[in-house]
Amino acid sequence: MAPAFRNGFLRKTGLALALLAPGLLAPGLLASGLAVAAESAAVSTPRVTVTLLSSRDAVAPGERFQVALVQKMARGWHTYWQNPGDSGEATRISWTLSQGATAGEIQWPAPHAIPVEPLVNFGFEGTLLLPVEIAVPQDAKPGERLTLTANATWLVCEKICIPEEGAFTLDLPVAAAAIVDEAAQAPIDAARAALPAPAGFKGTLAGDGEALALTLPGLSGPPSELRFFPLSDTLIDHAAKQDASAGPEGTVLRLARSNAFKITSGEVAGVLTFKEGGLARSLSLVATADPALVTSAAGSADALRPAVVRIPLPVEGADLTLWAALVFAFAGGLILNLMPCVLPVLFIKALGFAQLARASRAEVREQGLLFLAGVIVTFLALASMVMAFAALGSSVGWGFQLQSPPLVIALAVVMTLIGLNLLGAFEIGTSAAGVGHGLASRGGRLGAFMTGALAVVVATPCTAPFMGAAVGYAVTQPPALGLAVFLALALGFALPVVALSFAPGLLRLLPKPGRWMLILKQAFAFPMFATAIWLIWVASVQAGPGGVLAALVAVLAAGFVVWLVGVTRDTGRGRILSSALAVLVVFAAGWFVVQSAAPEATTDARAGDIQAWTPERVAALQGEGRPVFVNFTAAWCITCLANERVALSRQEVKDAFAELKVNYLKADWTNRNSQIAQALAEQGRAGVPLYLFYPASKGGQPEVLPQLLTPDMLVTAARRAAGKELKTAAR
Amino acid sequence: MKAHLTRQTFIAGLALASLSFGATVALAQGSAKVGAPAPVFQAVDADGKTRSLSEFAGKTVILEWTNADCPYVRKHYNSATMQTLQKDMTREGAVWLSVVSSPVGEQGHVEGPQAKELTVTRDAAPTAVLLDPDSKVARAYGATTTPHIYIIDPKGTLAYMGAIDDKPSSNAASLTGAKSYVRQAMAELKAGKPVSEAATKAYGCAVKYAPVS
Repeated sequence: MAPAFRNGFLRKTGLALALLAPGLLAPGLLASGLAVAAESAAVSTPRVTVTLLSSRDAVAPGERFQVALVQKMARGWHTYWQNPGDSGEATRISWTLSQGATAGEIQWPAPHAIPVEPLVNFGFEGTLLLPVEIAVPQDAKPGERLTLTANATWLVCEKICIPEEGAFTLDLPVAAAAIVDEAAQAPIDAARAALPAPAGFKGTLAGDGEALALTLPGLSGPPSELRFFPLSDTLIDHAAKQDASAGPEGTVLRLARSNAFKITSGEVAGVLTFKEGGLARSLSLVATADPALVTSAAGSADALRPAVVRIPLPVEGADLTLWAALVFAFAGGLILNLMPCVLPVLFIKALGFAQLARASRAEVREQGLLFLAGVIVTFLALASMVMAFAALGSSVGWGFQLQSPPLVIALAVVMTLIGLNLLGAFEIGTSAAGVGHGLASRGGRLGAFMTGALAVVVATPCTAPFMGAAVGYAVTQPPALGLAVFLALALGFALPVVALSFAPGLLRLLPKPGRWMLILKQAFAFPMFATAIWLIWVASVQAGPGGVLAALVAVLAAGFVVWLVGVTRDTGRGRILSSALAVLVVFAAGWFVVQSAAPEATTDARAGDIQAWTPERVAALQGEGRPVFVNFTAAWCITCLANERVALSRQEVKDAFAELKVNYLKADWTNRNSQIAQALAEQGRAGVPLYLFYPASKGGQPEVLPQLLTPDMLVTAARRAAGKELKTAAR
Repeated sequence: MKAHLTRQTFIAGLALASLSFGATVALAQGSAKVGAPAPVFQAVDADGKTRSLSEFAGKTVILEWTNADCPYVRKHYNSATMQTLQKDMTREGAVWLSVVSSPVGEQGHVEGPQAKELTVTRDAAPTAVLLDPDSKVARAYGATTTPHIYIIDPKGTLAYMGAIDDKPSSNAASLTGAKSYVRQAMAELKAGKPVSEAATKAYGCAVKYAPVS
């Protein structure tokens, strides 16, 4: 206890000094105080102890450094390589990282052949380090923290096998200069030095009757104890002896074919291990496969390879062609305009045009284009975030920003302020108007751009019909294609306003500006307040009573601040004082929100006959011969709630479900849940709503219902799902 | 018992006994081949009755290697996926044989009464559970994992060998959206089509083999 305390204390003091005066102390001086490795808490079982080790005590912005998942296995136990051999499963890591940080793939050491007579597994015994490279974001600031969480799963076997898992978190300070952790750097360096080196030559793989011949031109000898470990598990018989002989073009290794033999590309890759001068050596090898060996159809070989899959492969979204996705996205964006929270914002914009149109048509066009720019920039920024998270293996989707209670509350405040503004409680930019026309028109330009941005932000809770599939497609594509889909979405969304700004004829259809505009403007405040109420309700579901309190305090503070700024606008010294007070109130309220709005674990148990969704329950119910309806929803998804009101909770639907013995399962994505995110991804979706109807036959594939439900649609789908049951029984 | 040895298993046994380790393990895989006659076998079932492959001539036979304590097997039984598959296949006239090859003292080993108890408690529906404590059937087929599936057509030809589905994981969530190779192969056989994916890589726990005596 005592040494641990002392070391921890020294380390903290050392870090504090380093942060305060990075240039003053020589790194060598610090190293003595930093001899404790930066290592996560361990997950320990009688079979294996696992930790995450960092080669840095503090990281520098923009640098790349190594961490390693460490598995210390008890005697007789082993974990598995990328290709586990005859049985088993590779260790996998999915990362949750601070904003902007990225993690590379596992750098796999050369495996050992572990005989479990008469089988052979490929894996590791003793102590294993799996290094992974982490890239610190360029814009990380000294004083911030870099948080890395490795969610790892591994199968550990002796003769029996136990699947285990753990989450390992490292919380490292960002400093102006990196602080190397010598105690961790040394073993990680050693592990990396022992990684298979590139072979420096290319092998050739050819058929040799029933067997395979792997020719290795760079190896003469042949070297002793030569063995080839292929990455694919459908290439060779893992347990078969590998005979090496000297041929005219180098060493030839004779390999028995796998009884599930399949090569799907012209190259095979793997690792060669052998002894040279008594020392173990390993090379990473790529070999050209004889075209006669290659199976043309892409089949099970790839699907079976237990590689680290970061993005679950979509089932449906992948079937969309790029053009279809673009069309869906464009249509989805267009429909988004009709959502209740978006419509008022756009209508006000249109009214603004009507007023401006008398002054200058050029100015209207300019405003329309600026609005378009605001929409595009905001959409692409959000899209980049979603795609960056998806690329990192994080289970976020469209609407992810609404899974954070503080952001939900921030949106509620925005809605309230828009409402107050519509009512005329305060004006934006009025003070600027007094300063001069130049500033005012600049404010107008900025205003047009910001209206576009605001419209996108308020639209995010609504996943309009068609958008789901398109967004699901987008996040699984290379960034350029994905951004193209989001661009189509943005263009569809901005089209009505831009069209209005370019078609004065349309504007003339509006009645002449007058008192009715003021009344309408005020009336539109109420949808905004309604949206705010809905968002506060979302916060209450996410964070409980604390969330409601936080939201209402934030709304109060925002109201107070705009009032304060309004009344003191024209006073001289009072203005400085009130500004300071306003800043203080904003910060205090912000702090309070972040403190009190911590997400609550959502309770799965729900009243009535709606059960919580799990994949096991779906399979079990199908096994019992019952059709299953799954509603993937979230409290912040307004389309979901609308569907529940207009279709799912209707009596005729309830009656049909009861009569056909449909089991209604609900997957609630209000807070983040990786299992649900994965299930969405399997249907090619990145967000809710998603409605699936599973037939009553075991393992039967679900029917995907449209994103806008009607009672009729549900009843017929229920009949179809139950009808399949009858057919199966008759068979 | 020796009197029941068929020619293949006798030769295999002779070879296993006489060859070096490396050659032995090579044989463990080599014996079963898609498109070739399935290795014949005899084994005692949970009721103590001797069953053999020839008894099911004219019917499609599905072999399922199993070990009730293996996490991968449990994934398929806890979700009722395996039981449903057994019921559907036997309903269509196929013979389903669950094979337990774990020797005494190894994980998954069962005697007749336990095997029957497991069938009842798990609501499983195999035609029979074969007890193979000396791992002879496993060696004849080269079974590597639990689960490992073999499908033999009515003419006695091996039509499929490999994994139960395309999701090599012990995580129950992997069942959602998994493609059942068994259903696919059986549907294709029924339609008189060639099995499109006739040999896949089986996944799961290693079959616990009895030492060669």
